Amino acid sequence: MNDLPATPGRHGFAFLELGERLRQRGQFAAAASVASAGLSRYPSVADAHDLLARIRADQGDDAGAVAAWHAALECDPVHIGARKGLAFVAFRAHDFVNAERHLDLAATQAPHDASVLAALDRVRAAARQRPGDESPEPGDPGSGLILYDMQGLRLAGSIDQDSDDADADAAAATGAGLTSESVRVARLLQLGAVRHLIIEAADARVIMMPLTADAALLLHRGATTPLGRLLALGSRATVAARAWLERMA
Amino acid sequence: MSIARWENALREVTRVPGVLGALIISADDGLVVAESSMDELATADVAALSAALILRASRCMSAMGKGAPGSVHLVGDAGALLAVAGPAPLWLVAVAHGDAELGRVRLLLRDFAVVLA
Repeated sequence: MNDLPATPGRHGFAFLELGERLRQRGQFAAAASVASAGLSRYPSVADAHDLLARIRADQGDDAGAVAAWHAALECDPVHIGARKGLAFVAFRAHDFVNAERHLDLAATQAPHDASVLAALDRVRAAARQRPGDESPEPGDPGSGLILYDMQGLRLAGSIDQDSDDADADAAAATGAGLTSESVRVARLLQLGAVRHLIIEAADARVIMMPLTADAALLLHRGATTPLGRLLALGSRATVAARAWLERMA
Repeated sequence: MSIARWENALREVTRVPGVLGALIISADDGLVVAESSMDELATADVAALSAALILRASRCMSAMGKGAPGSVHLVGDAGALLAVAGPAPLWLVAVAHGDAELGRVRLLLRDFAVVLA
């Protein structure tokens, strides 16, 4: 890679083509090596960042992919591939609002790009099928909402559609411990009554909100979900959960 | 980065209006590593309680099949505790009144966590 040409050849940068071929063959480590070497020589080439991002996404490294696509947009603010990639990661995290936003921006730049328009249709259809995303309901298994009592017993909800009851029970049990500890910390540090606790991780954001003295909820969303939106969703979930508890009483 | 530079960075966090104190803790044992705070804040208590909260948050994330926490924000009616992971086992923690600019404090802690690493 030390003898890369200083400027692109007649057919563009050869390393992009090589890296893409390796990626398509599933040789991700070799593809990433080629892309990184190319980037060290041509750090302002948006397509190189896009290539590295797609390799990372294939490897399941969504955070790395997002960083690389943001780098691509810094080089080329109207890079369609980066917008599509960011939309893909958001979609995979069930963050339909951000997925739609990125695709909308891509469609603005390329209004006749059939792949962008088709992806936009898919995202909007998925968002319509997931009304719980805007108003999480305890009975909706896809809402990412779990209600539990302070004994650590699950009252309703599940982690997601792919998890089973045992997973949700474990989340409820640890959630109750988290709620109790939050209340204790808030009391001892004179923070007042607990409003919420937010946990950020590389792959998710989780909010815990007490409902009553005996119950609380956990709600999770993708890592790209803005904190303010997570808080708004948590507030809506609180209203729905309290109504559910009253019906059960 | 030296302890003196850590304390300077913590002082920058503490300068945000409403912040009572900022500290670096060891989440493994709940002890203070470095601090900058007002006298009214019992930093040893903050360190111990923060470590306990981080442990509970980690268990909860693990049970949900999610990754390890990078930050934990506890918000109450009268104040908030913000904790951001630094290089293990260190965490940066700030305690603030309810009217403090928590978004700004969070960003400062995150920036500082990068430098700390």
